[in-house]
Amino acid sequence: MFEAVGLSKSYNGAVALDSLDLAIPAGEIFCLLGANGAGKTTTINLFLNFVAPTAGVARIDGLDVVGHPLETKRRLAYIPEQVMLYGNLTGLENLGYLVGLSGAEEPSDAGLRAFLADAGLPAEAADRRVKTYSKGMRQKVGIALAMAKGAGSMLLDEPTSGLDPKASNEFSALLLKMSEAGTAVLMATHDLFRAKEVGDRVGIMKHGRLVEILETRDVGHSELERIYLEHMKD
Amino acid sequence: MLLRIMRHDWRCLAADRSAWALVALLGAFVGYGVSNGSAWVRFQRDTLATAAQDESQRLADLRRDAEDVDPKAEPAFAWLDPRTPGVVAGTRGQRFATAPPGPLAALDVGQADLYPFYFKMTNRTKQTFIAGDEIENPSNLLAGRFDLGFVVVQLFPLLILGLSYNLLSAEREQGTLAMTLAQPVRLRTLALGKVLARAALVLTLALALSIGGGLLAGVDLRRPDVLARLGLWAATVAGYGAFWFALALAVNALGRPSSTNAVVLAACWIALVVVAPALLNVAVTSLHPVPSRVELIGAIRDASAEASAEGSHLLARYYEDHPELAPASSAPVPADFLVKLQAVQKSVDETIEPVMARYDEQLARQQALVDRWRFLSPAVTAQEALNDVSGTSLARHKHFLAQVDAFHKEWQDFFIPRIMRRERFAPADYDAIPKFRFREQPLVEVAPRAGAALIGLAAPAVALGLAGLAALRRYPITG
Repeated sequence: MFEAVGLSKSYNGAVALDSLDLAIPAGEIFCLLGANGAGKTTTINLFLNFVAPTAGVARIDGLDVVGHPLETKRRLAYIPEQVMLYGNLTGLENLGYLVGLSGAEEPSDAGLRAFLADAGLPAEAADRRVKTYSKGMRQKVGIALAMAKGAGSMLLDEPTSGLDPKASNEFSALLLKMSEAGTAVLMATHDLFRAKEVGDRVGIMKHGRLVEILETRDVGHSELERIYLEHMKD
Repeated sequence: MLLRIMRHDWRCLAADRSAWALVALLGAFVGYGVSNGSAWVRFQRDTLATAAQDESQRLADLRRDAEDVDPKAEPAFAWLDPRTPGVVAGTRGQRFATAPPGPLAALDVGQADLYPFYFKMTNRTKQTFIAGDEIENPSNLLAGRFDLGFVVVQLFPLLILGLSYNLLSAEREQGTLAMTLAQPVRLRTLALGKVLARAALVLTLALALSIGGGLLAGVDLRRPDVLARLGLWAATVAGYGAFWFALALAVNALGRPSSTNAVVLAACWIALVVVAPALLNVAVTSLHPVPSRVELIGAIRDASAEASAEGSHLLARYYEDHPELAPASSAPVPADFLVKLQAVQKSVDETIEPVMARYDEQLARQQALVDRWRFLSPAVTAQEALNDVSGTSLARHKHFLAQVDAFHKEWQDFFIPRIMRRERFAPADYDAIPKFRFREQPLVEVAPRAGAALIGLAAPAVALGLAGLAALRRYPITG
């Protein structure tokens, strides 16, 4: 689960995130919407401890990410817009390395293959170099990594942009499966349709501030779009 | 964790064709360097074998001729008589003072090709034999040989930089850094793991190739101290490699793109490997210039001409100074030019002495300056250390020259009394002619210099490494 309390970040005085307060419990999918530069990626980078907050705290499972950088990452999975892997290694080797870094016992070959299969990667692809993978296939390695780590919290940064509708749909199904298993998901996206489909709540960000939070079951697709565009007006 | 990162890095390198190309290139350079070094060693050994054969042949001929002389008949000319001490000492009985190639000379010729490694001993002044040179390719002498020492000092850093200029920047640019650091691993651990993986690979290769090559090239492990010297060689290569890896890490830690890193590191290489040694060279020769050789030769000529002109006078004075060497009235050898020559030589020696001393002093000052300033450039530090442990350094040459000096003295002590007393050589005297036995520079002389060099390499490596790891705190992981 994710928790942000007064979380703020400025770069040389320019505010990127302005006192974000947010809690995402286990099993919830929370979608962050907003224009480029609204602060979505900054939020994710703060939870990853890739950048240090100017004020406030970001917690994962109640642990401050700055104070417990390794422990929080053990509980965390991250899928960026482009899951970048080592192109000269196979999907299996990439997964083995990244899972191995989690400090856990490195799962057996068969175990890793099972995770890749669960994530929807064709069996023959596991032993191919990642160079030859499509974006969707690389996303699936990312999902397999999240499953293998048994991550209770997932950060997704525009994971479906550039995926074809079928791949995007498959991805959503995987996400729902994981959320049903109790994973808390924070997903930054531009895709209002996906947000409404998979999200439990959506938050709309503007100029570093979270300006509105909506329950997706309370709004229709067109209404969500209307509210979103309303906020984007200056 | 560190081991997992290292294994992964090796796997990535193994899957990368350009890494293999770099390794193959290193192998080719090492092979070429070692074959050049062993060619030099072979040349030196062959030359010494020829000298030894010449010497034993000449001495055998001399003894045979001495035995053939009819003891009752007086020879027509004393300077053709094989029993005349001056003839034995200055021409037919001359022995060589020789230094064998350094224990690891096949690995690093160093400046050994600039120094003479054999002298034909004579009763005359030191000047008459000390300046004998090999006829060599002057461009080789100027540029130095493409030996393994050259590969280690000049090319090895390039290989290291080629493998690690984008240690972290490449991961950031590919986007794999974010994926990796989203796992519970510190950036410091990752960077260290990657450096160690590459260092282990490169150093293992460099050491295995060079020691294997050295053994093939005839480095003799049974010679005393050779194992210790190989150990020092390995430590020097490791220390020098560590410096370049630490530099690459420190530059990577600044968080610039790979292209910037490449330019910065290439500039460092040029500054430390090319420019600094050249500057040091210029500084040394302009601060402590060696007196002109022409001046020395002129001084010798003047002194010789002057001394020869008053030859008889000098001879008389010589006997006044050395009454114990006065010949018996029945001395068999006439007081011909060979005897006068000896008296003249002594006078020349005394005149030349201060000029020679100035020469040696300036050379010593130059070396002292290099010793002090070598730590400014790891390349100079490493080269000096490799020369030291290989037995191809100036210090080892001086060690040889000191033995040659002692031998010259022994030679003169043996011959001059016989010449001046105008005695003839008895058969037993031929066996008693002094022989030169080279004693290798002992390890206790080499090790402290090599040890200082190791500290001089390790200290900046550790400092750079720590600075790099500290700078990683501010490393921009994204963007």
